[in-house]
Amino acid sequence: MSGPFAHRKAINRRPVGVCVSFQLVQPATPDEAVGLLAKAPAGEISVLGGGTDLLFDIDQGRASPRQVLSLRKLPWRYARWEGATLVVGSTLPLRALEMDRRVQQQLPGLWEAIRDVGSPALRSRATLGGNVGRCAPASDLLPMLIALDARVRILGPSGVREHPIDLVLQESRKTSLGPAELIESIIFPSAAPSCYVWQRVQPVNDISQVGVATAFLPDAPHWRIALGGLQPRARRLSEAEAVLRSARPTHLEQELAAQEAARRAEFVTDRRATESYRRRLVAVMVRRALQTTVERMPGPRGPRKAAR
Amino acid sequence: MRSDAEPKARGAVEYGADLEAPGMLWAALVRSPVAHGRIVHLDLAPARKMPGVVAAVGPDDLRTLLPKAALEAERPVFPLQEIRYLGEPVAAVAAQTLAQARRAAAAVKLDVETLRVDARIEDIFPEWPSAASAHDPHVVGHVHARYGDVDGKFRTADLVHSETYRTSGVHQVAIEAHACLAEIRDGTFCIRSSTQTPFGMREDVASVLGIPESKLLVEGSWVGGGFGGKGSAFLEPYALLLAIASGRPVKLALSYAEEFELGRTTLPAIIRLDTAVSRGRMVGRRVRLLLDTGASLPGRDFAVGYSIGFLLGPYRTEAYEIEGYALQTNKPPFGPHRAPFAPQSVFALESHIDGLARRLGTDPIEFRRLHAWRENDRTAYDQPVGPFGLEAGLEAAARTAAVWRTGLPAGHGIGVACGFWSTGVGAGGEARLFLQPDGLVILEGEREIGNGSVVQGLAIVAQRVLGLPASAIRVQYGDTATAPFDSGVYGSRTLAALGQAVEKAARNLEKSLASRVGVPEVRLELKNGQVVVVAGRRRQKLVDLLTPAERAAGGLESHGKHYGAEKKVDASRVLEGTVYPYNDFAASVHLAEVEVDRETGHIGVVRYAAFQDVGTAVDRTSVVSQVEGGIVMGLGTALSEEMMWTPEGRLANPGLLDYRLPRIRDAPPIHVDLIEGFAGAGPFGAKGIGEPPIIPVPAAIANAVADATGTRVFELPLTPERVARALKLL
Amino acid sequence: MTDAPLTLNINGQDRRLGAVPDAERLLDTLRWRAGLKGTKEGCRTGDCGACTVLVGGEPTLSCLLLSREVTDEPITTIEGVATVPIGRAVIKAFAEAGAVQCGYCTPGFVVALAAQLGRSTTRPDVETLIDGLEGNLCRCTGYRAIERAVELARKAVP
Ligand SMILES: Cc1cc2nc3c(=O)[nH]c(=O)nc-3n(C[C@H](O)[C@H](O)[C@H](O)COP(=O)(O)OP(=O)(O)OC[C@H]3O[C@@H](n4cnc5c(N)ncnc54)[C@H](O)[C@@H]3O)c2cc1C
Ligand code: FES
Ligand code: FES
Repeated sequence: MSGPFAHRKAINRRPVGVCVSFQLVQPATPDEAVGLLAKAPAGEISVLGGGTDLLFDIDQGRASPRQVLSLRKLPWRYARWEGATLVVGSTLPLRALEMDRRVQQQLPGLWEAIRDVGSPALRSRATLGGNVGRCAPASDLLPMLIALDARVRILGPSGVREHPIDLVLQESRKTSLGPAELIESIIFPSAAPSCYVWQRVQPVNDISQVGVATAFLPDAPHWRIALGGLQPRARRLSEAEAVLRSARPTHLEQELAAQEAARRAEFVTDRRATESYRRRLVAVMVRRALQTTVERMPGPRGPRKAAR
Repeated sequence: MRSDAEPKARGAVEYGADLEAPGMLWAALVRSPVAHGRIVHLDLAPARKMPGVVAAVGPDDLRTLLPKAALEAERPVFPLQEIRYLGEPVAAVAAQTLAQARRAAAAVKLDVETLRVDARIEDIFPEWPSAASAHDPHVVGHVHARYGDVDGKFRTADLVHSETYRTSGVHQVAIEAHACLAEIRDGTFCIRSSTQTPFGMREDVASVLGIPESKLLVEGSWVGGGFGGKGSAFLEPYALLLAIASGRPVKLALSYAEEFELGRTTLPAIIRLDTAVSRGRMVGRRVRLLLDTGASLPGRDFAVGYSIGFLLGPYRTEAYEIEGYALQTNKPPFGPHRAPFAPQSVFALESHIDGLARRLGTDPIEFRRLHAWRENDRTAYDQPVGPFGLEAGLEAAARTAAVWRTGLPAGHGIGVACGFWSTGVGAGGEARLFLQPDGLVILEGEREIGNGSVVQGLAIVAQRVLGLPASAIRVQYGDTATAPFDSGVYGSRTLAALGQAVEKAARNLEKSLASRVGVPEVRLELKNGQVVVVAGRRRQKLVDLLTPAERAAGGLESHGKHYGAEKKVDASRVLEGTVYPYNDFAASVHLAEVEVDRETGHIGVVRYAAFQDVGTAVDRTSVVSQVEGGIVMGLGTALSEEMMWTPEGRLANPGLLDYRLPRIRDAPPIHVDLIEGFAGAGPFGAKGIGEPPIIPVPAAIANAVADATGTRVFELPLTPERVARALKLL
Repeated sequence: MTDAPLTLNINGQDRRLGAVPDAERLLDTLRWRAGLKGTKEGCRTGDCGACTVLVGGEPTLSCLLLSREVTDEPITTIEGVATVPIGRAVIKAFAEAGAVQCGYCTPGFVVALAAQLGRSTTRPDVETLIDGLEGNLCRCTGYRAIERAVELARKAVP
């Protein structure tokens, strides 16, 4: 059983699981938090929101910070409406947004996407800030954030800046945040008929093979189509959006947009799905998501249908 | 209501994971990072220097800590040289805390020479093995059996139906991972463990460590799910070795990642089936099976011999040839998993038969009925078939299917599949009952593992014989030193086999009491908390019938034994290897209605029905819940569960993130129809029910998909992508 | 590492738990320091729900939570749930429905269900209650008996 492949190899395994240790710091104010981050040597400190991603990564040996900075005491657990604009503090548990009827009615796609994150007990800790911070390619929320033109308010040593979500996301575990910056809040500029659909091997707690978010925004150009389950991250498909010219695109237009989306997206093959299957799924799911979004439009064609 | 339900729901019972002892150390395993290699150098010194570490043991320590026999064991506790799968434990450490133990395990220096990895059976035998292949070093088991004029049947057949099926590795995934605690008390080696088989464990640990059984004591804790995975020695030898080395109690519990990587579960297989048909009937079959048995010991393989018969099914077979190979690969060893390999075999066979029926234009249920075993038919190995509810099940299924057919929406399909199982009634067991003035105690060596067969089933058997109310019967658990011997909770045998021992012990009690009263038979009642012996109109308190010695001992003891004789097969049909006789015959017929998304390949299970031949339902609630549980577990095998190994032998999905189990919303409405009247070998005619309900599930789903789409999927699990490929969507 | 003494409010009592490392999970603190082993350890990756406890009344996965993150929130474990009327009703419903087999998943289910029944001013319907159990895995029962337990419990809780 030996033979040509044999060679020698010394191995050291990294300790994982319950054996990790780190120091936890729990600053009481945003400024204190930013100050602590600025002081810490690069790569030695991690930010803890709800921890559902970070602690998992630490257990798997993918992150090994010496310090963990908790956002628990910061005053960012809020969701408030300013007219049609929704501002969500970065540390608000997703469960709170899910329970908010107004979110369900005015941003049905966001509500659907939130309900698709893990399980209720996970959502009682998991946050929007953490989802953005993790920037997972398979995230269920990021496509929807992109489709809704969400903006991210970032707090750092030199104050606050605000950027479109698209400029914040980079790749898995990487955003454009500086080492001493924190996501303070996420802003959804307007209510919008929207829809999120995904395909997984299983409906709950699974990783989406593909996620499709569609939205119809009040200002032109109205249509948004964004995809998740792509490498390196979720993204908008403007070419496919361009096919849609009216508030009520025909079935043919919807189909063409879906096909354009499938053509344009760059997929990868991994153990969850092959590249060609993902392409196939997108063609189907974009069409379905658009159709649902159209059904959710206010207007003479019947009352708006809330999500589920 | 089960007596263990409420304490469990309150979180008040102690499972293996909860075990604790004063002064206890925590253990961690040092596991191989390669799937195949030779140990060049293993250095435990760095681990021994780590904070909190009390003991570290590796292959070299076997010599000093254990009798010589331990090194001569066919496979010693730690590999002395060759590493056979990724994650194989090569050493173990014990420290004050789990964190310290894990850190120390990571500090161990292991230098290995890597060897070529054989991770996939199709790479070992890209073509079907020939006669010469039997000598291939990968072949660790070979079974070959033949009966009748197979070649003739195929030559003269109207039609030959040939297909190849593939199945995947699936894991038991008990929610509680393996855990045990070992310590030395007064010179006795004591193991507490979450195990289905305390006595089997004692035998196994003794032989692996080379210590006499008399010095070993095993006590079962409550078991957080077994499904075959918590059988014989697994973690216990490591924990005991560390306890010997440290002189302290040692707890060893696996993480989920370890649970997956150490396996002992169902592994992939390739199954080729050819069926000869003449005048609309199946007249001959060829079966060829390649079964991955991972790093299993040569010659120890029961899997091929046991499963290959299931590829002929519960159907009359005029002529057949079956040949199966167990192949060694660099994966963890194959292990028993709820009806080992039967759901996979039956997926292949019942898909095959279903496709054949459709090809012939015959109704699939009718086609099966045409061939179904009836009582006194002969099995493939020439055993007489016992009372068997298959035909009755098929008839009931046909009625339900007809109802479902009316108004079946487009895109939906209905599938049927049959299974049969032979309960392990042969395996022996003994029972000890103790009748006290205020109630009956059943003393047991093994814990209830969940299905209710111990805590509920045995109590009901005693109750039916003696007549006491359930509240007056208590199951008490002992260890291997105090409790009567039993083979364990596995193979659907507990109620059917051990139940017979309890039944005998209860009858002995009754006889003894009857003779004291001077009548042919008595019954027991409970009156004001006192056991009363009733004979016709005469009633006497139990206490008044006891001798002074019995009164001093606290009650009347009685024993019962059941050592079933193994049935025999016709050895002339077996050309090579071992096949196993069937000891009892339980039939299952399942119906599934699915909805297939024709654009994405996604399968939704709309509803499900199971017609289960139970002999006699000793406890209806337990049986129904057991059937439902088996079905939903089977839906996992059918739709989503798949262990994925890379060519380097690394398990790519060692956790629930990518190994998908059914959740509450995946469970369809399930109609359970218990078929009674075909008596089994168990008490009151009961048949084992632990394993049968999972068996036909993958096949029923696959057949429903074929019904909905006209397309067959030849590989498990039926993930959306596989279905989409079969539908030629990509 | 601070390893300062940690006090948590568990089941209505302030429990002093000694020098708990910063990285320790609530699951481990509860089981091995507070001696509350009714909270079960399953996957430790957030997938099984066996470790579910209530934090501030909300079902939460104790395996993905640092003990030091919950110092100002009341924690209720199955041992606490089992002492209140709603908890007792849920436990009874599980037992009566035959929804307890190996029982390892059961405390997690009971906690998740009792929280929902206890929280709402309006009684959630059975379907909503079942949705609330999506994060809990059971490998034995096939869930149907658990659904029957949900129905029983909903009827039993006024
Ligand atoms: C069992 C399980 C199932 C899951 N299922 C899904 C799913 O279906 N869909 C899905 O999209 N996700 C899923 N997730 C991932 C995860 O729960 C979500 O991404 C969640 O939104 C992360 O939020 P958190 O607060 O827990 O993040 P944390 O773990 O706290 O943080 C994640 C990352 O973001 C950083 N971060 C957190 N907050 C901030 C901030 N305010 N400013 C700057 N950086 C910050 C952290 O440093 C870290 O790098 C699942 C996770 C688990 C364990
Ligand atoms: S142990 Fe926490 S979810 Fe499994
Ligand atoms: S009863 Fe065993 S896992 Fe649910």
